[in-house]
Amino acid sequence: MADELDLRTLDDEELVEQMHDDLYDGLKEEIDEGTRILLERGWSAERVLNDALVAGMTIVGIDFRDGILFVPEVLMSANAMKAGMEVLRPILSASGVEPIGKMVIGTVKGDIHDIGKNLVAMMMEGGGFEVINLGINNDAEKFLAALEQHKPDFLGMSALLTTTMPYMKVVIDELKERGMRDDFIVLVGGAPVNEEFADAIGADAYCRDAAVAVETAKTLLAQRRAAARAQA
Amino acid sequence: MSTERSGRRGENRREALRASRTQRQVGSIRPLVRKLNPVEALDQEGIEKIHKASMRLLTKPGFLILDYPSALEVFKAHGATVEGNIVKIDEATLMHYVRMAPSQFTLLARSEQNNVTIGGKHMVFAPVYGPPYVADHDTGRRQSTLKDFENFNKLSHMIPDLHHGGGTVVEPNDIGVNERHLDMVMSHIKHHTKAFMGSVTHADNAADSVTMARILYGTDAIAQNPGLLSLINVSSPMRHDDRMLSVIDVNARAKQALIMTPFTMVGATSPTSLAATIAQLNAEALISVAYAQMINPGTPCLMGSFISIVDLKSGAPTFGTGEQNLLLFAATQMARYYNLPVRTGGNFTAAQTSDYQAGYESASTFWPTVQAGTNFVLHAAGWLEGGLISGYEKFILDSESLGMMANYQRGIELDEESFALDAYDEVPPGGHFLGASHTMRHYETAFYSHRVFNMDNYEKWQAEGMQNAYKRANGIWKKMLAEYEAPALDDAKREELEAFMRWRKEQIRAGKPRTEWQG
Ligand code: B1M
Repeated sequence: MADELDLRTLDDEELVEQMHDDLYDGLKEEIDEGTRILLERGWSAERVLNDALVAGMTIVGIDFRDGILFVPEVLMSANAMKAGMEVLRPILSASGVEPIGKMVIGTVKGDIHDIGKNLVAMMMEGGGFEVINLGINNDAEKFLAALEQHKPDFLGMSALLTTTMPYMKVVIDELKERGMRDDFIVLVGGAPVNEEFADAIGADAYCRDAAVAVETAKTLLAQRRAAARAQA
Repeated sequence: MSTERSGRRGENRREALRASRTQRQVGSIRPLVRKLNPVEALDQEGIEKIHKASMRLLTKPGFLILDYPSALEVFKAHGATVEGNIVKIDEATLMHYVRMAPSQFTLLARSEQNNVTIGGKHMVFAPVYGPPYVADHDTGRRQSTLKDFENFNKLSHMIPDLHHGGGTVVEPNDIGVNERHLDMVMSHIKHHTKAFMGSVTHADNAADSVTMARILYGTDAIAQNPGLLSLINVSSPMRHDDRMLSVIDVNARAKQALIMTPFTMVGATSPTSLAATIAQLNAEALISVAYAQMINPGTPCLMGSFISIVDLKSGAPTFGTGEQNLLLFAATQMARYYNLPVRTGGNFTAAQTSDYQAGYESASTFWPTVQAGTNFVLHAAGWLEGGLISGYEKFILDSESLGMMANYQRGIELDEESFALDAYDEVPPGGHFLGASHTMRHYETAFYSHRVFNMDNYEKWQAEGMQNAYKRANGIWKKMLAEYEAPALDDAKREELEAFMRWRKEQIRAGKPRTEWQG
């Protein structure tokens, strides 16, 4: 039983394995504690992140993909991951380690569909990303204000209606207008959206589902950082 | 039956038969009034419990009004309590308004014989609504266009068991978002003579739909009996947005009919419990009906429900499960309890193509829909991929099931002729009835006669090209479209409708605010 177990009695290897199990079981407090213990034992934040948290969530991701886990379970896991990230984030940024990434996401103006977008937000958090979820019915002003405030790596937009899809372009055009387009990786999704449309409106990628959104985000951010390093 | 000799006169009979038995009944509907008692999932005590739970939800947590302050004013003025954006309404006030909605009404159609009664024991089938994609056997899934929209309307015209022409039968993506509603309503008016739905994508678009209905039917006519039925979705849980509320306003002021549909993705937008879900959707529908009555007493409203249980392993909507059907039965019971017409169900599937899953899930939702005695069945034909695709073949395959179900609801006739006494006089024990006079009097209409499904033996099927139902349906819709003839439309009306469309499109393109059409 997790609540009877004193995490401090475990050696590093056992503790990391226990944390993988705790992530799987969505145990937020245990993850918070495990993260702190590893740091106390002198682990770098980066190592805790990769070996304990990301590796654990990878297992969750696989079992979600394979239809083993239910959405509410993944939600619990993502929350546990988030708890660990909250401990690590200030240390990571102080030590100059590149964070996994940050996303501002919302459903566009005129559209109140949010089940899919919330799933994406949840899976992104599970993947270690910091997510600012703007909710539904967001106009360009709201998106831009959030981008300026949070300075994320990604802008994620969701639309479920053919009548609101074009609004994604309005937001992208506004970014261009203000010379901010290249500051963000723009990802779009929603049932009626497709690759062709994403290309046509000048988004960076179309994501057909939440798992793909996480993968795409990781890939594009890595590419962007590599390109930035090559330029520097 | 003809007892006349064959020969030269028989040739005429052959021609007539070939014509009548291969031709479709075009342009007119086969109305359906149910004879059977509806299947029920709740007893009287259960109904009362659900009612009570719904009343509780409307006082705690109450109902959220998103970005539409005028609705808050309306609720306040009519006795509800408003706290911030939340409306709370007690049972007495709510039911006072709910009772103002008629329990039955007539919806106008371009051809008078196609007028439909909504409510009571009447059942009305209408096509799929809303998909942004279209699919057929030849090309698979693609973005739909106005041509597809028109094609579905033409097919509806030729299917007598579709009693109503529907609304957004598929999204015409090739027409500008701000003006496509005009082309859609116009296509309904031009391509079939059944009743149709109004646009709900914006209050202005709803108002344009009302104007077009006025031109078509006359202002007085649609004030007496609605010429439009529009689909209002509650954005569950317990919330309406500005778009839907403004569309209710426009239609209620013009006394046009509304379907108040809580749209529950059980597990996501309602709790993972059947009782809570039914109580919630009941509350959501009732407060919507009450709101329309506050705007204009007597506005015809249906209690709607769209019920899909979310696949909790992916978030995707599922269809045809036992739990969903229990909810469907309960939802129709609650509507009857309040004496309101009810919309629910359809030929639903999550399948991406017209395969076994599509057929089985569709049957598993359509049977209960019919058995529940649903008054208005949207999505009765054409639905694929959870409502993302309008399928040409699915439209044809579903229309076969419409005919079969309609005959089911006609029940068992128990008059003397139906006991076929003379047939037993004629046919001795051990004989057969295929040639009996009773058979000859009834064989043409007694049973449902298939149009799409195939009863041939393997060899004949093989010899004729081994076409499965999907492939056969492909041939059928193409043949139907080739044979389609547009029903005549009064020239003066057509000209005014076209003039209105031109005028509105200019206004829209110039970005000017909407003004009322002066003719
Ligand atoms: C990085 O950024 C990213 C990346 C990936 C992203 C992403 C963002 N966003 C999504 N993804 C992707 O990842 C997710 C997870 O894997 C996926 O998300 P999805 O959202 O696709 O998938 C979800 C997990 C499950 N799917 C869903 O939640 C959507 C299901 C369907 C049935 C649906 C629902 C549930 C609702 N609806 Co609406 N609804 C439909 C939908 C039909 C369908 N089958 O999609 C659709 C989209 N709706 C439609 C309509 C018409 C409407 N709806 C409306 C309302 C609603 C409800 C509020 C009732 C409800 C939403 C509840 C909510 N809180 O979200 C109305 C509009 C309201 C508004 N202003 O927005 C209204 C206009 C109703 C009406 N009266 O006509 C149709 C679209 C029509 C069109 N041609 O554009 C529709 C196809 C159904 C239909 N056949 O009518 C991916 O797309």
